[in-house]
Amino acid sequence: MYSWIWRHLPGPLPIRAVQALMLVTAVVMLLFLVVFPWLEPRLPFNDVTTG
Amino acid sequence: MAHVLSPVRGSRPPRPRGDAVRSTIRGVGELLLTAGLVVMLFVFYEAYVTDWFSAEKQREATAALDDNWNNPRGIVDRPIEGAGIAKMYIPSFGSDFVFTVLEGTDVDTLAVGPGHYQDTALPGEPGNFAVAGHRVGKGSPFNSLDLLSSCDAIVVETVDRWFVYRVLPLRGESADWAGKAAQPQCRGVDPLTGSYADVVGKTIVLPSQEEVIAPVPGQPDLPAKQDIELITLTTCHPQFSNRQRLIVHGILVAQYPKVVGQRPAELTADA
Repeated sequence: MYSWIWRHLPGPLPIRAVQALMLVTAVVMLLFLVVFPWLEPRLPFNDVTTG
Repeated sequence: MAHVLSPVRGSRPPRPRGDAVRSTIRGVGELLLTAGLVVMLFVFYEAYVTDWFSAEKQREATAALDDNWNNPRGIVDRPIEGAGIAKMYIPSFGSDFVFTVLEGTDVDTLAVGPGHYQDTALPGEPGNFAVAGHRVGKGSPFNSLDLLSSCDAIVVETVDRWFVYRVLPLRGESADWAGKAAQPQCRGVDPLTGSYADVVGKTIVLPSQEEVIAPVPGQPDLPAKQDIELITLTTCHPQFSNRQRLIVHGILVAQYPKVVGQRPAELTADA
């Protein structure tokens, strides 16, 4: 999977490295800003109220 | 460079039969590693990233509350859901421990700061001023609630008054309370009697036990109008778990009108 992505990135090595870094950043941002905030209230370990 | 290499790759002899198996196994391995990384990222998110988000929201809520206190726009008879209603200080957690308490206990409100259970008493009112707060992440206002001792101060500031609550005697302390009662910080704190006899400073209950925020904790059937002014703090227990709730009860021992430039002695003496 990762080697497939790496093979399909265009350009010489430094450019590919930058692109790979941008991809990783994009995925992490997606997780932090969209996926985790959506997921979090559905998980059973941060409820603080009674009733 | 890629198009120089690709003819070489293309001219390779046909892959042996085992290659499909190998690349499948590698793909599964990579997926598992990725899943592990995502879980670790989630832990990081819960413990740190939500703190950054919440700190910003808490700052905004505090600024809005200060603005509201300094420039009153008419009297509001009931607090507005999601808006700041008071500030809470717990000197034994450090002199910088202050959180703006908001009205309501839904997920979005609790991400800003501790939330006041709607329909429980307001600060200083007879009954039970009940507040929920996160223990992990989201600014974790109630992270150290388990470290509170009896007689520790919980100071609540409203638009015009300071209310000083103190943690009630813990379970087992009541029998030998005379010794502790002599300490200056325990003035006004005594084991409760009558219908309050079972109310102690700290308990751990099941999430379903909403009677802990009743005007008389543990007795939801008693009328809402009561003589004693209590405070109740709730958070999750154990840390990182949803299994139980940690409950702290305190009693109002003093209140002062606010004077510009002055803070109650409790905020400095206990620190």
